[in-house]
Amino acid sequence: MTARFRATPYLFLLPAVALIGVFVVYPIVAVFYYSFTDYDIVRPPVWIGLDNFRKLLGDGTFWLALTHSFVYLLVTPTIIALSVCLAIVVNRKLRGIHIFRALYFVPAVSGSIAIGLAWRWLFDRNGIINGVLQTLGIIHTPIQWLAEPGLVLPIAMLLTIWAGIGYYSVIFLAGLQNIPEELYDAARIDGCSDFQKHWHVSLPGLRPQIVFVAVISSLAALKVFDEIFVLTARTGGILDSGVTMVFYLWKQAFTLQHAGYAAAIAIVLLAITLAFSIVNVRLLERREADR
Amino acid sequence: MHLKRTLTILAATILVVGCASSASPSPSSGPSAAPAASTPAASGSTAPAASAAATPLAADPAEAVIPNVESGAEIHFWTFYLSPTFDQYIKDTITRFEATYPGVKVDWEDHQATFQDDLKNAFAAGNAPDVINLSVSEGWVSDYAGKGLLLNLDDKVPQAVKDIYFPGLWKEQLVDGKNYQFPWYQGLSVELINKRLFEKAGLDPAAFPKTIDGIPALCQTLKDKASTVCDIRLTVNDLIAQMVYEGNVKPISADGKTFTFNSAEAVAWLQTYVDMVKAGTVDNTTLTTTDDRTGLLLFSAGQAPFYLTGPNLIRDVKSNNETLYNDLAVAMAPLGKSNVTGKGLMSISVKADTTFPNASMALAQFFTNPRSMVQFSQQVAIYPSSPKAFEDPFFSSPGTAIEDSARPLAKDIIATYADIVPTIPKKADVNEIVKKAVESALFNNVSAQDALNKAVQDANALLAG
Repeated sequence: MTARFRATPYLFLLPAVALIGVFVVYPIVAVFYYSFTDYDIVRPPVWIGLDNFRKLLGDGTFWLALTHSFVYLLVTPTIIALSVCLAIVVNRKLRGIHIFRALYFVPAVSGSIAIGLAWRWLFDRNGIINGVLQTLGIIHTPIQWLAEPGLVLPIAMLLTIWAGIGYYSVIFLAGLQNIPEELYDAARIDGCSDFQKHWHVSLPGLRPQIVFVAVISSLAALKVFDEIFVLTARTGGILDSGVTMVFYLWKQAFTLQHAGYAAAIAIVLLAITLAFSIVNVRLLERREADR
Repeated sequence: MHLKRTLTILAATILVVGCASSASPSPSSGPSAAPAASTPAASGSTAPAASAAATPLAADPAEAVIPNVESGAEIHFWTFYLSPTFDQYIKDTITRFEATYPGVKVDWEDHQATFQDDLKNAFAAGNAPDVINLSVSEGWVSDYAGKGLLLNLDDKVPQAVKDIYFPGLWKEQLVDGKNYQFPWYQGLSVELINKRLFEKAGLDPAAFPKTIDGIPALCQTLKDKASTVCDIRLTVNDLIAQMVYEGNVKPISADGKTFTFNSAEAVAWLQTYVDMVKAGTVDNTTLTTTDDRTGLLLFSAGQAPFYLTGPNLIRDVKSNNETLYNDLAVAMAPLGKSNVTGKGLMSISVKADTTFPNASMALAQFFTNPRSMVQFSQQVAIYPSSPKAFEDPFFSSPGTAIEDSARPLAKDIIATYADIVPTIPKKADVNEIVKKAVESALFNNVSAQDALNKAVQDANALLAG
């Protein structure tokens, strides 16, 4: 009777553990294994030891992709700053404010492919942006935005920021609404301006949300794929100008059929994101402790 | 507390990265050459046998040309992008096949955007179909045959059956000199021309260049007089094939051990495109895209003066922009320096380790035989792979629709099709090297010669490695 009682919670856990085991743990273990093999998906993998990792060291495109992924991290502070500002703006009791909140959230519930396609059309040679610029007489010949190597990554980052602001601002909005009104009253009595009020009350009050958003958005930035995939029509951009780590991983695995090599890239990406996340949290916690 | 949070982040990170690395997006990377849907305009054609498409053909024992078909065989057949438009045709043909080869059962599936992913996964799982519709134009046959996954047909198919097909089509996508495909439906490369933009530039669509040498001057005129740029697409997935057909380039030495695509011919080929990019006469996005629908959509929107595609896709233009369709001219695709008009489009291959090789070959041959092909051609602007099929009166009568205007010329054009690209070892990787070289010459001010020299050096190192 006692033994059955002890087994019960484990039986409840079993379905979830089994699902995680099959769909998460097994693939991760498999990726570790494949990273040491020459594997083209259609034929059995062949063990090659550390060759894939040695090849990575001399692969210029891999280092370019890594650089692009780190550049993409600039999205994180930008999106935090803009989302906090937006949350402060919509955290007011104005008529129709709920409509604005909903509108800002629309990109978050839209499919990334749909958003990417819409942006591709915006920046198309015959797209709206060129149309407006030509109508205003600013340019005479259409700019081929997505065929300019220097513009692919910034446009993709802009897209990520635009699409993410609504989602993250909701998190900050929830945080703002948890800050006691008395703190703002005290700040007002102390003679704080609106800016000082938010600097000294809102931002410290939002610190847990900032930590959360910093970790989540930087992980999302490191694994960016959809935006690049759609904006560059699967090419990664001219001269690999938009190739990021995950895009390069996909290209190696599913275009060039080097699944073993792609697995090695995935392992490196795992190590980087893990290290990055730990450092990120530790730094923010230390700053919190210092205050 | 710190440990707990760190562990949580660790778990989250593993989940995120795990998901990212195991995700397999399903891009539509296949060719868009699959036939487009038949439209009322086409069925309204006065072609004599147009209505026969709706009537299933009776079984004819003369169609049973493959001997020793295994009785009781159950074979699996995959097609690419044919459902639902051609469901009835495929089902009727299978019914006729089963009546022609009694005792054989066929299980048919159509796969679309995820075709390549599905097929690779099926091979990996050991349950690939016995009979597979593969693209010749995209090089899929040699890709799979080179990995030992397809059946060598040269050793198995009787000579009389091989002789049914155009010789050039039977000898396509050879791997070590052996053929692995039955040639199926073929396309013609045509230039769709926006007459309005041509007239604006003072150009006559009927005077469209006959060779690619005339394209740069044409694009310059279009830019100067019609303020538009050309939508020309490099075959980014197979640049070596493009340089062979367009530039008459010999990409690899006769012994197959050294790449030679830095020759004067190759440099001249690349320089043509470099000059057009520098002159700003081409759309750079279309030029380097892997998606051949990008240019077609731009053309369909009335924003491109001409676009190279198949007549079967004219119906896409019609469904997207009827005004443009009524203002459309068609010219044959200009010839490259190789003087070869083109290569095949679609084929049917058999899995190497099929349990029923004869039944599988029989099905592949049945779909590609003249009778089946004539019936298929009556439904959509595609063309048969055998001379005998063209003896049907359907092919000597020009259709009323513009997409059928090339029909009477089709036999002579397809008869000249040939795969003149030699086997390229590590093709995908070499193509990637060439792509980088081409892009650096087009967009990074590297000279064509230097870019190709570097590419040959890298490709040779890859071959040696």
